[in-house]
Amino acid sequence: MQQSIDTHAENAAHAHARTNPVLVYAILAACTIIEVGITIGAALPRQTLIPVLLSISFVKASLIALYYMHLRYEKALYGIAFIIPAAFAVMLLTVLLVG
Amino acid sequence: MCQKLTAANVVYIKECVVRAAIIVLETIPKTDKIRAMNQAPVLSKADVGVHSGSHINRKFGFWLFLSSELLIFCGLIGGFLVTKHYAATWPTQAQLSLWLASTNTFLLLTSSLTVVLGIERIQADKPKGLTMFLLLSALLGFLFLSGQAYEYQHLIFGEKFGFGDPFGTAFFILTGLHGLHVLVGVLWAITVAMRARRGAYSSSNFTTVEMFGLYWHFVDLVWILIFTIVYLI
Repeated sequence: MQQSIDTHAENAAHAHARTNPVLVYAILAACTIIEVGITIGAALPRQTLIPVLLSISFVKASLIALYYMHLRYEKALYGIAFIIPAAFAVMLLTVLLVG
Repeated sequence: MCQKLTAANVVYIKECVVRAAIIVLETIPKTDKIRAMNQAPVLSKADVGVHSGSHINRKFGFWLFLSSELLIFCGLIGGFLVTKHYAATWPTQAQLSLWLASTNTFLLLTSSLTVVLGIERIQADKPKGLTMFLLLSALLGFLFLSGQAYEYQHLIFGEKFGFGDPFGTAFFILTGLHGLHVLVGVLWAITVAMRARRGAYSSSNFTTVEMFGLYWHFVDLVWILIFTIVYLI
């Protein structure tokens, strides 16, 4: 019982420390606008455009995983289970896009 | 006669033993631990589930499921890129209707926010708020699917891209599988919202809501990758 109470207290502390989801949403929306703006407006060469777009996309995906899926506050085990295949995915896509 | 007396004696002895035990137990001074155990509220099945090993196992299993899903989408995106590299014809950004895809992206991003806000409501023991935000998420997901259906109709009948050409095969399989995930998410959101309305969840019992949230955010995360690779690059 005491352990359960402690866990509730820890959860409450985490809940207070968590980043404002509206702020995360604003960053995600801004990143999307920048992505579309760069694609339509900026006359960047393809060699520059692809890494820039992929970097923005990576930032957005990381924000969702860390703050919306709460990976930042969860057990490291969950993060390891998700980050290993994610790293594989990033490597595969990078090789395909660069190649 | 002898047997009847024996039976009566046995009953009498039993009663004496029980009364003696009660008297002895009442006279023993209670320790603080025993007092705390007597005063502790009885935990419901749900309360026990939230912090038990079962909860952790369910969550870890769900993360493993999402990891496998990520690899499936990774394979399909890889296939899309290889097909694009070797295809003789490929639609332009104007043909792919970038504005519609951007609107769909905003719809999914907003739905992710509403799911987070819904989970915050149930953590604060406000099931009505959870129901409202989940139904809003389901509506946004439905609008996303409507936009995708319009896009498919435009590509198939307007631009004449079908399953017969390389683009059509790669595009419809990738975005179609994602759309199927959104559809499952919409149905799941409605189910969870209906259960929340009946009071099935509380601040100490919301594992299912948490699982739904993880699933929905994952669908959003995958769309972010699809949007960049299919529509922008």
